Amino acid sequence: MSLTLEALPGARAAYLEAAIRRPLSRRIKRVLFAALASAILVYSAWVCEIFSPKLLAGLPKLGNALLLMLSPSGFQYLPEFLWGLLETISMAFLGTLIGAVLAVPLAILCSSKTFPIRILQFGFRRFSDALRSFDHLIWALVFVRAIGLGPIAGIMAIALVDLGTLAKLYSEAIDNASKGPVEGVRAAGGTWLDEIRLGILPQVLPVMLSATLYMWESNTRSATILGVVGAGGIGYQLADRLRVYEFGQASLIIILIVVAVSAIDKLSAWLRFRLIGSA
Amino acid sequence: MLEISNLAKQFGTMQALDSVSIQVPPGQFVAVVGCSGAGKSTLLRLINRLVEPTSGAISFDGQNVSLLKGHQLREWRSRAAMIFQGYNLSPRLDVLTNVLVGASTSIPQARRLLRLYTKAERLRAAAVLDDLGLVEKAFERAERLSGGQQQRVAIARALMQKPKLILADEPIASLDPLNARVVMETLRRINVELGITVLCNLHSIETARMYASRAIGLRQGRLVFDGPISALTDEATSEIYGGTPAEAESDALSEAA
Repeated sequence: MSLTLEALPGARAAYLEAAIRRPLSRRIKRVLFAALASAILVYSAWVCEIFSPKLLAGLPKLGNALLLMLSPSGFQYLPEFLWGLLETISMAFLGTLIGAVLAVPLAILCSSKTFPIRILQFGFRRFSDALRSFDHLIWALVFVRAIGLGPIAGIMAIALVDLGTLAKLYSEAIDNASKGPVEGVRAAGGTWLDEIRLGILPQVLPVMLSATLYMWESNTRSATILGVVGAGGIGYQLADRLRVYEFGQASLIIILIVVAVSAIDKLSAWLRFRLIGSA
Repeated sequence: MLEISNLAKQFGTMQALDSVSIQVPPGQFVAVVGCSGAGKSTLLRLINRLVEPTSGAISFDGQNVSLLKGHQLREWRSRAAMIFQGYNLSPRLDVLTNVLVGASTSIPQARRLLRLYTKAERLRAAAVLDDLGLVEKAFERAERLSGGQQQRVAIARALMQKPKLILADEPIASLDPLNARVVMETLRRINVELGITVLCNLHSIETARMYASRAIGLRQGRLVFDGPISALTDEATSEIYGGTPAEAESDALSEAA
């Protein structure tokens, strides 16, 4: 057969048409999926009343609120606020670090590549699911009740949620790691721990670092909120000022938080570049 | 007619290509041979404008293509179709869509984003696939095909571009001998039956002798051989690859060390 490159009308065109017609079942599935997705979309919009006039009416007020947020005052409290901010950042750092360190062994026990006992692996997976099924805020409320007000409750809350989240992210990275290096280590007489340390870990380290740095950034934001429920840090002062309508001081605190969070963003981007070598 | 004059490319301090001039009349099958790092890939990539020259000019049918920008540049790229050693298909896209990538310049951007192709376009892609014996794989993900099949899909994508020129960069370096032969035979048919000029980087002199009508030899970025394939004798070959076979081997060993 020669190279014609065209579907010449006639038998060839008919044959080609048949060859690239998607199976009927797949086309039906597509239509059903599209219908279902649109139904869910419309239904959730209706439940949330997004078509109500409230949104339009509220928009001008948004401008006022933003203006208030940008008129800081109460600079005499700056040392106090900065101390709170430092506490928040430390909470995020310690919580992430503890969560990340504990997540490494948990992740190894969660992945079928590194832990062959199915039933236990299933248990560890459900355990990490359970840890991250509540938000930081819920855990913080629990710990404030158990061990009292202060940053320790916040650190524990962050560490627990991170343990669950990072164990999942790490174990997914391990699942996707290639088996070749593991076989290489095993064939050379290595133990189970050698396989993990020398075969798996070097492969997944960049993904682990990247996920951990992201959690650190994200936790700096979350840690702000934790203060609101008494789990330490700047959030406590923010909630307090808002309660007594000190919007100027609240504004100062918010600006401090924005500056701190973007500084941490930059720092972690720089760290990621230094450690992994790409953005 | 492809005309390359005094083409040079510098990467940092490395002179990848050094004042190369060649002319390729339509319909030739040109093998570009040389050691790895001799500048073969750079030459093809310069022609397709995947890399920009440091100096020199490339023109095709009298048009200076080294100055093209925007839409005209993309038109030129689609006329000078590339085929890569690693196939460079989109692995999770189905085979038919991968081939339709080759029709990009003739389809509006919005339709390409939504992957809305007309029946005629899809039929043409199917016809090209069928010519290469792959139409029954149209809905397979590209990554599930064997290497030889993936390279033929890449050739189908190239043919979809209605090219004047095919630039094949080590197209068979990752393939087993049987698949390598299928791919080379396909390139030969494209050259003979469709009259499309082929520039093919090869590291095997034997393959070059089997398929090409003309050979170009590069060594450390310089043109050291240009002539009919019959002139590519063993002496000429050792000149391209760096002196006597023993010297070439010691070069390769020191490079590996």
